[in-house]
This record gives sequence, structure tokens and C-alpha cells, in this order.
Amino acid sequence: MAQRARRGIEMDVEGMNTALRRLCDKYGVAVDGRLVADAELAAGVRLEMVGGAVSLLPWRVERRFAELKKLIDGKTLEEVSTLRFAVMRNGARLGHLLYREFDLCEWMAGASIRKTFAVVAGGKVANVIVTFANGMSASVECSAALPEGAAEIDRHEIIARRGVACDRVVDTQVPQASIYAFTADGTKTYTDTDAELFGFSDAEIWAVRAAFAVLKAPALVAEWKKAGCDVKEKVMQTLACAETCVPAVFSEEI
Amino acid sequence: MKPVKIAMMSLTHGHTRKYYQTLLENAKLDWVASCAEDQSAKETYELYQTGVPCYLSANEMFERHPDIEAVVLASANDKHLAQVQDCARRGVHVLSMKIPTFDMSEYDAMIAAVDKAGIVCQIELEMHYNPVVHRLKKLIAEGTVGKIVSVQATNITLSPVWAFPWQGVPEASYGRRVPLKAGDARCRGGALCDHPHIFDLVRHLTGADFDFVYSSVAPNLRPELQVEDMLLVNGKLKDGTAFLFDPSWSRMEERLKVPGPGWEVFPKRMEVNVTVVGEKGTLVCDCFGPNVYHNGAPNDRYTVQYTYFDEWIGMIDEFVGCIREGKEPLINLRWHRPTLAAMNACYDSVASGGPCVVS
Repeated sequence: MAQRARRGIEMDVEGMNTALRRLCDKYGVAVDGRLVADAELAAGVRLEMVGGAVSLLPWRVERRFAELKKLIDGKTLEEVSTLRFAVMRNGARLGHLLYREFDLCEWMAGASIRKTFAVVAGGKVANVIVTFANGMSASVECSAALPEGAAEIDRHEIIARRGVACDRVVDTQVPQASIYAFTADGTKTYTDTDAELFGFSDAEIWAVRAAFAVLKAPALVAEWKKAGCDVKEKVMQTLACAETCVPAVFSEEI
Repeated sequence: MKPVKIAMMSLTHGHTRKYYQTLLENAKLDWVASCAEDQSAKETYELYQTGVPCYLSANEMFERHPDIEAVVLASANDKHLAQVQDCARRGVHVLSMKIPTFDMSEYDAMIAAVDKAGIVCQIELEMHYNPVVHRLKKLIAEGTVGKIVSVQATNITLSPVWAFPWQGVPEASYGRRVPLKAGDARCRGGALCDHPHIFDLVRHLTGADFDFVYSSVAPNLRPELQVEDMLLVNGKLKDGTAFLFDPSWSRMEERLKVPGPGWEVFPKRMEVNVTVVGEKGTLVCDCFGPNVYHNGAPNDRYTVQYTYFDEWIGMIDEFVGCIREGKEPLINLRWHRPTLAAMNACYDSVASGGPCVVS
């Protein structure tokens, strides 16, 4: 199952809903929603609740991003200046890749994106420079051009006056794994991060965790809905402006 | 399932604070009380603002909370026997820290007390609930590398003695004062006592017990300690598997009284890496990585910010399940006994200078 999402196979939504119910039961949270597959969303699923559908932002509960955010909020890093984010994947929509990175940008920066200038090539690569309302900058490299079968490569670096933080270890260019298996069949890697959801792919794990976070703290519904709508609009305008080679500028309220 | 009324005792073990979140969040538990070993431990506990009342006497805690069903014994090793016997007398289930005792007669007295009372006694070997270890076991069970021929493993950390002083006191850590070897001023009770995990794990991975061990201590990195901080161990299991372990305190630390940011000097303060060589392949495994990294406050040093912390969740889940369903924990007193026998044999090997058969 762990390798399924990387091979582009659909999520096991039924299994994810079972896991979601198990978490809710364990932690005393009401099961007021269920996950539904939705290929139009970057997360690949949405959470259906009584009040309507919720677009999930699973990366916000992904452990590495949660820890990076803690480093900012806890003042381990002081006076952040620039974010350097990158993601390369195969078979993804460029808009979906930008959507995740833009939302991570705003969440980490603690400020909204005010201006973007994107250079797009071949419909599969976008290199974007971002300016935030608080003056910070970001570079966002997105590529949907990795060959079939290649594992996702990404990097999220935060540069501050005091300290640099990154989800990749120094002197490496690609994600490391927890286990490397060297056999006659070649080298296989395994990275498992969540014992309670062992066996699910990363995408499935963080979607379940995001749904659980919403059910546990319903105030997230409005927060994520607004963030998701804003970012979606910014991604669309960024890609549209790239065609005319002009910056996209955003007002405070979109 | 009715939540288990649980308490914590002593609060002087290095793992104490790691239980707080899961005891508070798990709906299958009702954390009702704590009791501290002394005023200092109580004051440290209060820094974490759990909202759970804390006493300075176990008797007072049990009198005020007669509904306590289970306890986490977060105490020094030399306290475990009396506490286990006290809990057994009260019919209270026990989750003990990783070294119940190194004294095998005490160990057997614990088994007798637990058996007589019919309580659950689980030993805290949290690696089993780590998702990477789960994958490692699965790959081996599926035959990915065939029959295991060798295991090399590290269980290396900083030294916790400045925050948890009993870990540097031979009587409290090892149970008595036993010189490491002739002409050596140091005693048993240091880094080895802090790192039973790889000794336990190799038995699970192979299904075999220890045959013999050889161990050697190096000069201490911290010469002021009364106990060893650097040692190496190799040997064979009864199925012929060779092994080499590093269970040292080889990562330096700032001498903080309360663990917190800036504790580590080396970027990664705790590492458990395992290499499994099989007849059909090799697995190399980092049980606590990858993570995220920074060089920010307070010391501007390159530092690992861990993203692995599931161990306590799974372990407590198992403990609760054993209590409610009457099951035997994976790491129970009888299972764990040969692991401690092997660790004692390591000390015997250091003393003799030669290999030591594990009885």
C-alpha cells in the first residue's frame, strides 16, 4: 500500500475512512464526516461533513512541515527572510503542485502572497518568485516532469537572520529514506512515519490526519476553506499571468 | 472500553515527560494522579502544566485516588523492586521503565510478585512501537534478505546524567557498586544501562537468544563520571548470528537540569541505526530519520528536529489492551530476563577481558 500513491494508483478511500473512524474512537472525537475521492483537489480527497465539503490541506499536518512551522513560531528561527521551496513529481498537475507550495508558503510566512512572477515551460515546469505582504520572499520550483516511476523529490528551506531550517539534511539533494533494502532485485527504500496509520501511503496518511484535525477542531473548517480558496485563485492568476510575462499582483482580500 | 485510571510514580526517569501527551490525549486512559520522588521532581513536573495533581508520597496518592488501576513507574532502577511489590500488593498494573533490575534474584522476586497478584507488568521498550522498526520486522519476516547472518546496531545518545543524576550513580542505576574491572575507578551503571533496546531487538529480529558476548570499555568522554560512557559489544546468538553493538553515550550534551532546546552538542542527540545482513541481501535502517534540521536558537548549532515520536502512543495502547483484555505484553518480565542477562554478561566480559557465555 505504501508504494501505491507513488505509482499513481488511486487512494484506498474506504480504508482511510476506517482508519479515520478508528482515530476518532480512540481519541474521543465525533465522527462527523467522511472522506470522498476528488481528483480535482491537490489532496486527492475532500471531507464531506453535514455543513458541506471541506477542502483539506494535508501538508499542514505532515510532521516535517509541522516541525518546520514550530521552528518559526517558537522563535528557533528569528526574523525569517526567504523561503526556498521545490517539488518535482511525475504525472501531477502543475496547478496542484503550486497549490501545495503556495499554501505552505503563506502558512510558514504567516503572511499572504501579494505578488508572484512565474516562468512556465512546456506546461510542466513553473519557476516562481513570490513576495509576501510582510516583505518576505520565496522561490517556488515546481516540476511535473519527473519520469514515470521516479519518487517525488522536494525541499523546503527557510532562511532567517538567525538560523536556516530545512526538511533535507545538509549535503544531500534528494530525500533520504529510513530503510534501504539491497537485494538481487536492486535497491528499494521505505520511509514510515506514522505508527497508527502504518501501511498507508504518505498521501493517504496526511489526508486522514488532516480530516481528523478538522473533526477534532471544527474551527479549522473556516480557516482552511478561506486559505484554500485564496490560494486556488492565486495559482490560477499566477499561471495566467505567466502567459503574458507580467507579475500577478493580489489585493489583501481576494 | 472503560478508560483505565492511571498514575505516574517518581517522575525521575528521563522518559517521564514523553508520557504526558499520550496520557492526556488517549481516550482509553484517565490520568488521575502523579507522585514525585522528591520536591525537585515535583517542581520539574509542574513546569509541564499537565493539570494532574502531584503528591510527594505514593501512599497519599493511592489513599486519595483508590480507583487507580495502573501506574507508570518512571523511577530510578533501584526503586523498581519495592514499587513493583507495592503495586502488586495493591493489585495495580505496572508499566516499568526499561531496566526492572540488574539483580537476577530481585528480578525473580518481581516475577513472583506479579504472578501472585495476577497483574499486568509491561516493560518500557518503546522501539517496538516505532513505525520504522515495524517495517524492518515486516521486511525480515517476508524474507526480503533471507536468513539473518549478522546484525550491527547503534543505540547512541547524549548522556542524561546532568538532568537525571541517578543515571550516573552506580547504586541507583546498576543496583550496587561494582567496579568495571581491576584497576578501573569506574563502576557498572552507565551507558550500557541506558541502552537495552538493541539487545532486545536482535532477539526479536532473529528469534534467537544470546550465546556469548565480548565487551570493551574505552576512556570516558566525561572523565568525571563514576560510570562508563563509551563501550562496544560483539558476539554471537545461539543461531550463529554475529552482532556488533554500540550502546554508548557518544554524543555530547549541554549540562541542562531540565531537557530542552539546545541540549545536544552533536546534531543528532539520539540514534538507533540497524544493519541487517542476510543470505539474500542487506537492510540498512535509521529508526529515527529522516527528520528536519536547523541551526537556530538557542545555540546556533546544526540540530536535528525529530519527527518521530509514536513510540509512547503504541506502547500505552498495548498496555491498556493488556489490562482490559487480560493479555500478556510483548515485553513482559519473563521475555526481558535474557536481555538483561546478556547485558550483565557484557559487564562480566569487561571485567574478565574475554568473551562471556550468556547463561
